[in-house]
Formats: sequence, C-alpha cells, structure tokens
Amino acid sequence: MTELIQHLSLGFSVALTWQNLMYCFIGCFLGTLIGVLPGIGPVATIAMLLPITFNLPPTPALIMLAGIYYGASYGGSTTAILVNLPGESSSVVTCIDGYQMGRQGRAGPALAIAAIGSFFAGCVGTILIALFGPPLAELAFEFGAAEYFSMMVLGLVSAVVLAHGSLIKAVCMILVGLLLGLVGTDVNSGIARYSFGISELSDGIGFVSVAMGMFGFGEIISNLEQGEEREVNTSKVGSLMPSWTDLKMSFGPIVRGTALGTIFGILPGSHTVIASFSSYTLEKKLAKDPSRFGKGAIEGVAGPEAANNAAAQTSFIPLLTLGIPTGAVMALMVGAMTIQGIAPGPQGMTQKPDLFWGMIASMWVGNLMLVILNLPLISMWVQYLKIPYRVLFPGIILFCCIGAFSVNNSPAEVYLAAIFGGFGYFASKWGCEPGPLLLGFVLGPLMEENLRRAMLISRGDPSVFVTRPISAGMLIVAALLLIIIVAPQVRKKREEVVYESAD
Amino acid sequence: MALKIRSLKDFSAGVMFIAIGGVFGLGASQYPMGTAVRMGPAYFPSILGWLTVALGAFVLVESLFVDEEPPTPTAWRPLILVLASVTAFAALVNTGGLITATVVQIIMSALGGHEFKWKEAIISAVLLSVAVWAIFDKALGLPFKLFPWS
Repeated sequence: MTELIQHLSLGFSVALTWQNLMYCFIGCFLGTLIGVLPGIGPVATIAMLLPITFNLPPTPALIMLAGIYYGASYGGSTTAILVNLPGESSSVVTCIDGYQMGRQGRAGPALAIAAIGSFFAGCVGTILIALFGPPLAELAFEFGAAEYFSMMVLGLVSAVVLAHGSLIKAVCMILVGLLLGLVGTDVNSGIARYSFGISELSDGIGFVSVAMGMFGFGEIISNLEQGEEREVNTSKVGSLMPSWTDLKMSFGPIVRGTALGTIFGILPGSHTVIASFSSYTLEKKLAKDPSRFGKGAIEGVAGPEAANNAAAQTSFIPLLTLGIPTGAVMALMVGAMTIQGIAPGPQGMTQKPDLFWGMIASMWVGNLMLVILNLPLISMWVQYLKIPYRVLFPGIILFCCIGAFSVNNSPAEVYLAAIFGGFGYFASKWGCEPGPLLLGFVLGPLMEENLRRAMLISRGDPSVFVTRPISAGMLIVAALLLIIIVAPQVRKKREEVVYESAD
Repeated sequence: MALKIRSLKDFSAGVMFIAIGGVFGLGASQYPMGTAVRMGPAYFPSILGWLTVALGAFVLVESLFVDEEPPTPTAWRPLILVLASVTAFAALVNTGGLITATVVQIIMSALGGHEFKWKEAIISAVLLSVAVWAIFDKALGLPFKLFPWS
C-alpha cells in the first residue's frame, strides 16, 4: 500500500509540473478538436497528431499522447450526442440514447453525464493500473521468447474475435499486417527485404503512413462516398447541469459500467465496443421500464460511457506491463514509444519509473481536464460541427500530409500514405477491417524476433511452445477462443453484436 | 451448375489476399531460407505469405457459394482526387515549397467533395496557408522550404 502511494506521488510530482500540465492540456484540446469531427475515430486522430510529439522529450511526449487519446475518445462521445454520427465504434451505443436526449433539448446533461461517467471510470482505471502494473511486470520478467511469441498469438487471435464481419478475412488482414511489418532490413542478416530497390523502404514502412493512410485517408474517402447527411443538434444544448434525479439514476450504471469495462479492458483484444454494448444491455435488463431505452434514457448514456472509458484505460495494462498492444490504438502507442526510443514493457517500469508513473498520473489529470475544460467549451464544439464537411476534409488531409512528411522530413512517407489510403478504402469496401492489419503490422518484427530466439534456444524443436506451461496455457486459450467463435451458436451471437455495432 | 461469383466482396478480397501473399511468398525465394534453428530472412515471411495465399483461396472459393450483397459502387471521383492531392503534396513539398503544396492539395481535394465552390476553396487555401506558416514555420520551427524561390 505504501508502495502504491509512493508510486502515485512520484507520478503526480511529474504530471503536475506546469510544463507537463500544459502538454496534457494541449493534447486533450487537440485530441477533442480532431476527435469531434464526425467519421474520424481515435486511431486517425492519434495518427494525425502524433508528429507534433516527435520533437518533445519522452515524458511530455507520452503525456501529450495520452491526452490526445482521451480527448479523441471524449470527442467521439460529443459527436455521438450532438450529431448521431459516431466518430468511433465504441460511441455507437452512446448514439442510441444520447442523441435522443439531445433532441429533447437535454444534450447538456447527456454530455455532462458522459463526462462524469468517463471521469469516474478513469479514476478507477488509473488506480487499477497502479495496483496491477508492478506484479504483472514481475511476471513478465519471467517470460522467455516462447512465452512472448505465444502471448502475441493470443493477442492477435483475440483481436480477430471482435473484428467486424468475416473471421477469415480478419485473419488474412493480420497476416498481411505481419508481412508488411517485415519489410525493411532484417536485423539478423542485414538483407533489405522486399524493398524493391527503393532506399526508403529498406528502413521499413513507417507505421504513421499505414495508420494515416488506412484510417485517415481511407475513412475520408468512405465518408465522401456516403454524402453529407448529418443533422447537427444545434437547436439547444440546454443547461449543462444534470438534475439530482439524473445523477441518482446514473450512479448505478456508472459503477456497473466501470466494472464491466475494467474486465473487458484487461483481456487481450480491443474490447471497448463489447464493454459498452454489454453495459447497455445490462442496464436495459435491470431497468424497471426498459421501453425508455432508445428514447433518451440517461442510464443508456452513463453506463456505456463509463464502460468504454474504463476499458480504454485498463487496456494500457497489458501494453505497459507486458509490452503487448491489444488493439489498433495501443499499436499506435507502441509506435509512438518506439520513435521516442522507449520499448514498452516491464523494463520501462523499473528503468524509467518517473516516465511510467508520470504517464499514469497524467492519465488521471487528463480525465479531470476533460471534465473541467470541455464542458464549458461545448457550445464551441457545436459551432465547430456546423462547418460543412466539404470545407473541413481538405484541411484534415493537409495536416495528415504534413504529419507524414515530418516523420522523416521525406516525401516517401506521404507517397506511402497515399498508397495505403487506396488500399484501406478498397479493403474496407470488401469487408476487411483495417484494425487487425495495424496490430499485425506492429507485432510483425517482434513475433519474428521471438520466434527466432525461441527456436534457437530450443535447437529447432517447435515443441518448446507447448512444453513450457505459461506458453502452452496461452496457446490453449487462443485455440479455445478460435473454436468457440467458430462454433455455430456463438458465431451467430457474435455476428449479431458485431453487426449491430457496425450499423 | 455453372460457377458464379455470389459475393463480389469476398471474391475481390480473396484475389487481393492471394496477390499480396503471393508477392511476399515468391519474393522470399530471393533470400536465404535458413533452418528452423537459425532462421534466415526468408523463413517467417514465406510461412506467412503462403498462409495468406491459402486463406485467400478459401475466401475466394467461399465467394462462389455464399450469397452476399454486392459492395457499394466505388466512389472514383473522391478516391482519385483525394489520393492525387496527397501525391501532389508529396511531389511539391520539397520542390515548390510548403505553401505551394498546401494550395494545390487543398484545391485538388476540395474538388473531390460533393459540392465544389471556388470561393470556399480559395478562402480555405489562403487561411490554411497562413495557419501552416504560423504553426510549422514560426511556432514549431520545422525546416520547411516555403516557396519555390525561397
């Protein structure tokens, strides 16, 4: 317990310096600014804003990134409530009742409850990271190459479970991602693989190009295809303050949502969508009058928003302790950390405690900042959402281009982003989600390295993966997951959930 | 029974995966394979590449038997103009300078929108040029060339 307080106080001493508070604020503000745009999810937002953190020292850079992430998630909820057009899949649920509340002139309380719920979940999440981080990192020190490899297999399999649409296509996208991650100079032999004689490719494909192309440009083109059909709830945001009854009704859902979200967040695989969906279903089941749901029930905003944020927060646990990203957003975080010269994982916690705990404390600060700063700014977001998309999107593309360019000060990344934009557009048109690809892309080189090392140690005996108990356990879980998803009944249920959220 | 493409989505996706997997699988033959103990640079990519081809083939075969709605028609105009504007930016940024690249990129991509208004496009090109100059040149001090003559 004293250790926990010690860690957190170290963290807050880092996070609460003026300089870091300012970076946290800029991150939250910019994250919300881009995240509010309809049709732009957190992955695209982070990819776009990533380059501005490159010139900063590691600690402020990571603090700003965490701020961008929370700002982007919060911006997604704002859009869901005001425009009925979720910026990210986990806000889909918020749309259902949040938008209805907005139409009844109660957008203010809906946004306030979303912020309060997220903040509560964020607090719980932060404490959990501080509690579970150190013991999990201890465990990770016991891991050998075989365990890491099996854990990555498990992570990739779990990512498939929640990919929209076809399972097999999601597996294919992971494989393509792994392959793309291998482009560039092979560390062992020094051979430039798949560079086709292009010198820029021998350093590998920049992950900013992949993320920006597939999530930024690909999504923009899809949005342009769908046309401009959005109805902004600009009539009246209404009073911000939720009434006493609102607060009392939301308390239970927020607590239950946080609990659900925490559990789903720690599991490998990106589970924010499932977390908010299960919270919504649970609240609907528990309600005395379930018919109110879908017509502006405040519980339908409070629970899922808390669940979503709790899952977003706790998904940092596997990343920071084991070094394994569990979803597309976490994959981006790995990329950002690598650029800063930090390898995410157990070493980070012991070697750079100020950075690690500072980042965790700043997560909490960021959540608080969103409540304090964004609620008064809501009327500004409303005005901002009135700008037509046809004026906004060229500017978004411009900032993506400058961002991609400034990674290496070379146009090569920009050309690559254009190629991935086209690829991403067609891939999602043909029912292949870009999320698993990005995850595979980040894990590709790591998987190869650990596979090589494990096989070298075992002298070429592949049974090492099943004879070491932790590794075997993880592979068994992965296999079970695959069998369960393929089982007809689960398959049907999964399709229901996933398709509902995709609509 | 004549074979017919019942799901154009799966058919296209299958072809795409076979092509990508094939490029990596075949490309790996240029590099040393190594052994299971000392894996060469070709080892892991060839496994992944051929696995992608196999799964892609499965998706392709499935597309002949499972009915699915066809994909929405390709939006060629935004697709081409958006990607062309990005390419133009990449081509111009080092030669013509950041401001030139910005103006060309903004106007080209705006042409890909639903409604194009010259006045709006020119105003946003001017405003964004000023913003880009202020943010990246003045505030962040990144080493950009601004104009063709600078």
